[in-house]
Amino acid sequence: MWRCLVIEDDQANARFIADGLRELGHIAVVCHDGAQALARASTESWDLIILDRMLPHGVDGLSILATLRGLGKKTPVIVLSALSALDERVRGLKAGGDDYLTKPFAFTELAARAEALVRRARPGPEIRVLEFADLRLDLARRQVQRGARAITLQPREFRLLAFFMLHAQQNLTRAMLLEAVWDYHFDPQTNVIDVQVSRLRAKLSAAGEPPLIQTVRGVGYRLALPDAPDAADAP
Amino acid sequence: MHWLRALWASTGFRLAAHVALLVSLTILATLAVVYLQTVGVMQQRMARAVALDMQRLTQRFDQGGVTALAAAIESSRARGLAEGDELHLLLDAAGHRLAGNIEPFAAELPRRDATLQRPVLLRGRSVAAYLQLRRLADGSVLVVGRDMRDQQAVESLVMQASLAAMLVSAFLLIGGIFIFRQRLERAVSGIRQTAERIGAGQLQARVAVDDEPDEFALLSQDINRMLDRMQALMDGVRHVSDTIAHNLRTPLTRVLLRLQRHASQPSDDATLRAVLQDSAADLQELAATFEKLLRIAEAEAGTRRMPFETVDMQTIARDVCELYQPLAEDAGQTLVHEDGLPALVQGDASLLASAVANLVDNALKHGGAATRVTLRVRHQGGRLGLIVQDDGPGVPQHELTRLGLRFHRLNAEVPGQGLGLASVRAIAALHGGALRLEDGAPGLRAILELPQPAPA
Repeated sequence: MWRCLVIEDDQANARFIADGLRELGHIAVVCHDGAQALARASTESWDLIILDRMLPHGVDGLSILATLRGLGKKTPVIVLSALSALDERVRGLKAGGDDYLTKPFAFTELAARAEALVRRARPGPEIRVLEFADLRLDLARRQVQRGARAITLQPREFRLLAFFMLHAQQNLTRAMLLEAVWDYHFDPQTNVIDVQVSRLRAKLSAAGEPPLIQTVRGVGYRLALPDAPDAADAP
Repeated sequence: MHWLRALWASTGFRLAAHVALLVSLTILATLAVVYLQTVGVMQQRMARAVALDMQRLTQRFDQGGVTALAAAIESSRARGLAEGDELHLLLDAAGHRLAGNIEPFAAELPRRDATLQRPVLLRGRSVAAYLQLRRLADGSVLVVGRDMRDQQAVESLVMQASLAAMLVSAFLLIGGIFIFRQRLERAVSGIRQTAERIGAGQLQARVAVDDEPDEFALLSQDINRMLDRMQALMDGVRHVSDTIAHNLRTPLTRVLLRLQRHASQPSDDATLRAVLQDSAADLQELAATFEKLLRIAEAEAGTRRMPFETVDMQTIARDVCELYQPLAEDAGQTLVHEDGLPALVQGDASLLASAVANLVDNALKHGGAATRVTLRVRHQGGRLGLIVQDDGPGVPQHELTRLGLRFHRLNAEVPGQGLGLASVRAIAALHGGALRLEDGAPGLRAILELPQPAPA
């Protein structure tokens, strides 16, 4: 469970986001105006801030973000914006945002990115070996094993699996996978990511082994055991 | 006064007036130099002649005294040796004339040797004279000089010529000012009239360009180019709004009708869930189309605030190839990247990757089963071309030019929105490049051309 501050002037949107987060078991507080939002963001402890770019009275969300970063606040921030100009994303990230979503977005995309951000922000020991179920990935030696079986992966497949294992049990969208593994931000339109994931899934599961990468309808994928909730086996 | 102020407010008039002033000053300086040179040379020559005359006569005085000097003056005059404009006067110590052709002016004689210009009486007429006066050892006074009437005539001639030249110049300059101003006015009024017509909504209006390639013709050409670009953008905006109206309203209507129908009649949970899922999918599709159209419009408008970075097109080609290879293999197609040296350009990696992905996607979709798609980079004349070539059925020649128009689809059977190539064209244009589509014989050859940065 984590605490999230939702700074959004559109009441309906703010309510949808907050209700969605609460349904996932998190605490969500909504702020509709910039001054109040800045006060709460800078004086209270939050695990995540979801910040709309355009706030009432001509306040730019990015100025709030810059002020927060100036105060030394390192809280992860997702910037929401209806501005999709070519360089808006870069501006949002340069101002100190950790992620950027253009409206309209699916709540599942927002939830998946929020989950990934909060997990990444929580300090942990430096990881050299990732493990999930009987799957083991050695980051330093670039080796993958499932049980006693060694699995040979292409460099990009290795990165894809490492990303899945770093975010085990989390929903990951296709856009997140493309950004994390290929470092590009665009919508490929076709099912290229699905084909990449299904190839990796096939390499990970020999005969009789349960599949570890689950398809989550309407969202993307999730590294989980087949009987985990929210997961449906890929056809 | 008001018309004078209005006249002075005209840049053309002020510019011409300044030029006229400069020309006038130049003419004035030239005439002054000519006048001073002419008159100066004449005066020097006269002074030298008088000095020589004086020297000759004082020598006579030294040799034979005042009597010999008087005789020398008279005899030279009598024998006609003296020139017509020579003036002499010899006075004794008491001021009586001993010799010479001018009347004495004893009362006004300076006490020392001197050079002076003054009127004297010559044969009863007053003439302007240049005189040198010397007091001799016995108290007598010798005056030698020249009649200055000829010189004054020359001076006055030069002065009159100068004045006439000044007057003619002034008329020419005034005429020049008005001709220049009219020319400027004509050139500028063409631009102003065009601006007025465009302001009134006639966006196709253009400035008339003179045949002569002067500065105004070049300026007019630049303005016309700018107007062409603006009109292209306006047409783009109009086209986008038309296509948005057509392509977005249809699915919106579909969603609206579906929701209204199910809102007004009882439905079971499963049906409602299906309705909601279908509506969400439709809206998501709609948002994606809208986003794509906006991106194309933004790229075409070239609105960027962020500087580009150096990216390697070879890396992008490699990444896109790697991304699409499994998809191609599953469809029984071949996708290869012929690797080469780094190909650096200034750009946005994600945008360029999306352009290359679009080209690869098209080649795989339209190339047919078992097609082979090749990616390679070539350098040609300071430009870089990323080539995506397939060996499929290709595109008919008459269709090549229409490919890349928004919502234009070559084959309605193939899924898509008809925005892919339009977005590639826009991204290419944003990077100062272009998309070229050629007959690959066989198949289609798409070339994403980009300018290469000049070597540092």
